[in-house]
Amino acid sequence: MSYARLQHGGPLRRAFVFLGLTLFVVWSAGPILWLLLTSVLQQKALIQQPPDLSLENFTLANFTAVIASAASLGRGIVNSLVVASFSTTVALAVGAPAAYALARLPVPRANGIAFLILATQMLPGIAIAIPLFIVISKLGLIDNVFSLGVVYLSFNLPIVVWILRGFFLGIPWGIEKAAAVDGAGIFATFWHVILPISWSPLVASAVFAFVEAWNEFFFALILTRQQAQTVPLVIAQFAGQYQTVFGQMMAAAVISVAPVILLAILFRNQIIRGFADGMMKG
Amino acid sequence: MNAIELKSISKTFGDYTACRDVSLAIPVGEFVTLLGASGCGKTTTLNMIAGLEDATTGDILMNGARVNDLSPVQRDVAMVFQNYALYPHMSVARNIGFTLKMRGMGKDEIRSRVEKVAASLELSTMLDRLPAQLSGGQQQRVAIGRALVREPRTFLFDEPFSNLDASLRMKMRAEVKELHQRLGVTSIFVTHDQEEAMSISDRIAVMHQGRIEQVGTPEQIYNRPATRYVATFIGNPRIELSSAVVVSEQGKTYCTVGSTRLALPSPLESGRKIEVGLRPEHVRLTDEAGIGAVVRLVQPVGPTTHVTLEWEGGTLVSSIPGFVRLARGASTRFKIDPERLLVFDQATGKLLQ
Repeated sequence: MSYARLQHGGPLRRAFVFLGLTLFVVWSAGPILWLLLTSVLQQKALIQQPPDLSLENFTLANFTAVIASAASLGRGIVNSLVVASFSTTVALAVGAPAAYALARLPVPRANGIAFLILATQMLPGIAIAIPLFIVISKLGLIDNVFSLGVVYLSFNLPIVVWILRGFFLGIPWGIEKAAAVDGAGIFATFWHVILPISWSPLVASAVFAFVEAWNEFFFALILTRQQAQTVPLVIAQFAGQYQTVFGQMMAAAVISVAPVILLAILFRNQIIRGFADGMMKG
Repeated sequence: MNAIELKSISKTFGDYTACRDVSLAIPVGEFVTLLGASGCGKTTTLNMIAGLEDATTGDILMNGARVNDLSPVQRDVAMVFQNYALYPHMSVARNIGFTLKMRGMGKDEIRSRVEKVAASLELSTMLDRLPAQLSGGQQQRVAIGRALVREPRTFLFDEPFSNLDASLRMKMRAEVKELHQRLGVTSIFVTHDQEEAMSISDRIAVMHQGRIEQVGTPEQIYNRPATRYVATFIGNPRIELSSAVVVSEQGKTYCTVGSTRLALPSPLESGRKIEVGLRPEHVRLTDEAGIGAVVRLVQPVGPTTHVTLEWEGGTLVSSIPGFVRLARGASTRFKIDPERLLVFDQATGKLLQ
């Protein structure tokens, strides 16, 4: 089979590829489309079996209702922004130099250290939830955006270190030797040479960390009360004790996923390249 | 005074010894090439001179002072790397000027020096381009520019042309040699390409298994190879060696290869086991009396034709000017100039006389 034929394939092969991609798109996009649909349907149309999709049932009332009760959602968004930005920024600021040191500097047992960093992520959340709660409440930091940010940082930092270390390991040595001969020390090399060529994995790991923090529910639930509630908690509150207002809940969810999707669309090239480069030599 | 002097430096990585007891003195302004097959320790030696790797033992002196503990910048060396190692995110101008920026030089002075260097390397029109937008030869010139702009005391080249195609390689070779003749800066060049080493160097240090086998001018290395390894490594086509025994008879010394008697360039004690060989251009085919051989392979390359012969002592290659008509399997005779015979001790591999 010629290379060109391998690239383009015959009709049968193309059909299979198309089918596979279609299934994957439905699988990935289905829930989001359902979310969008639910957010613009009236409750009564939604709870029918099957849902009544006739045109007169579509409405923006859910959105106006959510925005009318904006105090809690608005505060949730602000809290989420603070928490996610804080944990992402610090994870990158600390994680990038750490990853570089573990990849390139003569750190004794660098591989072992890198593994231990990853190993911290292997505990199930529930195992650390109670000790974490006790520590944070003794510190009087329950319901505080920054304590939540620090908790998220502890999840994000290892991931950032791993993605960036994988990328740094793949950079040819020559460029750092050249920098050394040109008179750049470790910090100058890192700042002027390594960071600028690591734009893709930096963006990829930043988006990853931001989305992790933005979407996290479990720890936010146990570590906040009211003031520091993040978006996922606010959305969950639409599920009340006596009734669940699906439409409003979904409208709130649409508003909250918008920034995440926007990030993904804006940086899609960096994300793909960043993860691909990072994974190549892990 | 020697610009650089290596005093029995060695480098080990765990159990592996990359360089053993390497000693070499390089006078100011000389162009020296470290030549050897991959894994012979030549790049490690260069890295130790550059200050990119520490010598495990031994001293590195520059202008008489020990520099083992100095950084590359303090040693005032500039280096051109095999894969160019340009900074991919910087324009040509910033690539060349980076080292000046690291020294805290002002923007205006950096620009004027970069422009001067770029002009000398015909890069003036490309200063704003990124490395990825340049051809391989242009990238290599940027790498050279980056080294030149510093006006360093020593240039180090680590196989700088091995990624270029053949014709460009020849061109860059000439450019570097002219550059050296113009600037007279002490240069150390690493390559595995013997022809490159021969054509560019004042002296060549042939390395093998972490040691220097021989240091000499291209002519010395080629005509008087100190060891069997150097003899066979240098020269294309490769020299073929035959085992022989020294015989003294009635005051005359010669050696025997099978039943063939060969005159020796100088006397040796009888019974000694040796290996003898000739550079292909010193093996002449003849119609007169000579040593019998059979033609096995005829390879014309333009200026010469390489004829591989089978004879009692094994194989032998003769380089004959121009094109020759010889058929495979034809019988022929060849003649040897005893003065040109290279004689090695069979046990030690060292050149005799």
